[in-house]
Formats: sequence, C-alpha cells, structure tokens
Amino acid sequence: MTKQQVEAVIERIRPFMQADGGDIEVVDVSGHSADVKLTGMCAGCPSAHMTLYLGVETALREAIPEFDTLRVV
Amino acid sequence: MTATLTTESLVVGRSARMRAVFEFLHVISNSDSTVLITGESGTGKEVTASLIHQSSRRKHHPFVPVSCALFSETLIESELFGHERGAFTGAIKDRPGRFELADTGTIFLDDIDDVPLSMQVKLLRVLQNRTIERLGGTRTVPINVRVLAGTKRDLRQMVAEGKFREDLYYRLNVLPVVLPPLRERREDIPVLMEHFLRQYFRKSGEEAPRVSDAVLQAFMRYSWPGNVRELENACERIAQTCTCGTVRIGCMSASILFRAASQPADLVVSAPTAPQQVVPIALDERIRELESNLISWALKVSHGNKSRAAELLQIKRSTLGDRIVRCGLTSHSSEEDSA
Repeated sequence: MTKQQVEAVIERIRPFMQADGGDIEVVDVSGHSADVKLTGMCAGCPSAHMTLYLGVETALREAIPEFDTLRVV
Repeated sequence: MTATLTTESLVVGRSARMRAVFEFLHVISNSDSTVLITGESGTGKEVTASLIHQSSRRKHHPFVPVSCALFSETLIESELFGHERGAFTGAIKDRPGRFELADTGTIFLDDIDDVPLSMQVKLLRVLQNRTIERLGGTRTVPINVRVLAGTKRDLRQMVAEGKFREDLYYRLNVLPVVLPPLRERREDIPVLMEHFLRQYFRKSGEEAPRVSDAVLQAFMRYSWPGNVRELENACERIAQTCTCGTVRIGCMSASILFRAASQPADLVVSAPTAPQQVVPIALDERIRELESNLISWALKVSHGNKSRAAELLQIKRSTLGDRIVRCGLTSHSSEEDSA
C-alpha cells in the first residue's frame, strides 16, 4: 500500500474538507496501515474524529484490498 | 412504525413537483374515493395519507394506518378483518380488525405491494362489497371506511409481471398521488434541512446553528436513497453531535460525504461527445445557459439573498445584479434585499 493510494482516496472528500477550512493530512503509511491527522476547523471536535475515522476507514477498505488499520494521530 | 416525518415536514417542500402534489391534494380534499399513493421509502406516504384524512370530511373520525408488510400472510387477515374467539390457537377473545376500528373514518393500507396474491382476492372483495367477516366468524359486518393505499413499487408494473391483481389495482388507483423522490426535487433540500435542524435543536433547547456551504453542497449533491426520512436522520445526527456552533463537514455522516463526493456535480454541463451527435452548439447560448443555471442555483441555496449568492459565486454583488438582468432571472429580485 502506497501513500499515493491513500491520498487518492482522501482526495475524494478533500475539496469538501478544504471548503470548510479543514483538511486530512496523511502523516505516514507503513505496511498496510495509515496514520492520518485532522487539521484546521474540525480538528478539535470529537464528533468529527469519529465521523472521519469511520468514513475514511470504510473508503480505504473499499479502495485498497490489502488495507488493514487506520490510526488518527 | 414510521419515523417522525410530520405533516409540517412534508408541507415545507417548495419545488414545483411538491406544489403540484399539494394542489392535487387540495382538489381531492372533499372526495371520498380511494387514493393510491406511490412513492419510494421515506418520501412521506403516511404523512400524505394523514394529510388527506385531516382535510377530508372524516377528519373527526379515526385514521388507522396499517403496514401490510409487518404481518405474515396469516396474521394480516386477522389484523385487517379481526377474529372471533377460538378462530385459531391463541385467539382467546373476539378482536376487531383494523377495518372495523377505522369505521366511519379512514384506513391507510401501506405497503400494499407486499400483500400476497391470495390475500389480494379477499381485499378486493372487501373493497367491492364494503363488508367484512371476522376470521372464524359468520356474521357479515358492513363497514363505512375510506380507503387509502400506499406502495413503494409501481403497481402497474407488478400487474404486468403477474404479481398484483389487475382488478384490485383498478379498484385502488382511483385517485393516484405520486410522491417524487428527494433527488428529483433537490431544491427542497436546503428548506427541509433548515426545518429539521431547527426542530431537533429546539428539542435540546438550542438555536439551530449556521450550516457551512460545504455541508450544504454535499447535501445538495448526495442522492438520498432513503429520501426525506434519511435527510431527517442526518439532521438529527448533526443536532446530537455538533459541538462547535456551526454545522461543518466534520458533523456529517462520512458515508454521505463519500457518496456525495462520488456524484457528479449537477451543474456540470456535458458537451456532446458521441460521433452521431456532432451538431453545432451555440457557444454563447450554452455559456449563458450555464451562467443562468449557476446563478439560479446560488439564489436558491441562499434563499434569494443576493449578497449571499454573490459570495457563493465569488463575484461582486453589483455584478450579480447585472447578470441576473442579462439572464432574464428578474423574478428572483423580488425575494431579496433582506440582506
């Protein structure tokens, strides 16, 4: 699994995030795991963490068969 | 049974499609004829049925909604027509059916498309004779009930496939009401959103917060397979989880967000590409059309507020004014200037 693959999935919702003054940063991809970080507007909101965690995890799993774990750092 | 879709929430629709529905409902309000309400799940069939009942002469009499999908084939008969004591194991006392409970009022047979063929014959007989017999009983009970039916599938199609009795279809389809899916009346989404958010925030004693443009855009683009009910649930969720005073992308269900992102934007104008379609396109005309669509969209989502619309389009307020005139969209100008 490459960082580009992870970026490509996140890129799909990035325009919406950025329109709201936020973003998801792909911090690290190692093996079949990815570390992402929520920045900007929604970064401090616990609901947003849960929402984006579940959403991004589901989308990654659909797009990348070997994907294993997502960590929000 | 049904979610909390209210009459009010159905009535907040402003689209031409919904206005046509309301006008028709108004026309038939004095009628006592059978109404067949067709609409996908979550479009508000039961709300419509209750609205029809409330505006009819029977409004002070019972309104009995019953989902025909909830019962097994054997239970549905006893549910609709009632049973006498001893009719079957467990029938320990006489029990009136929904038709009897609805006497002098209105019965709403929802999910009529789920009624098995064997039961359809019995239903047809009841609708024709306006009498029922309780299960295990011998007495024929006359009933004075107005019948409304709801279906999520196209009954005509089901008749063609042999899954629904043609005679029953004609008996039901006297006054047809078709409720459009939400994706076919997207212009109602902002109004519905505002309505549900206000309703759910009010429950927790709060003012509904501002909704960010990104969220509004995502909601406008999503296809809402669960229709108004799904939109309502999304708003309830936001009311429960929003912590920062503005509804932003982070408050939204991520599955809606991802699916909205995979939908093509409505406003993209496709150029003719297939070889057989190579015909001249008037560029100026197409650009004007696109401009007019985008301006209409901006005015719509900003509820006719021109300053807000100009912000959305990233042009000056005065420029927007000029272009509205140029595109002949002057009818909108009367709604604005509240900003």
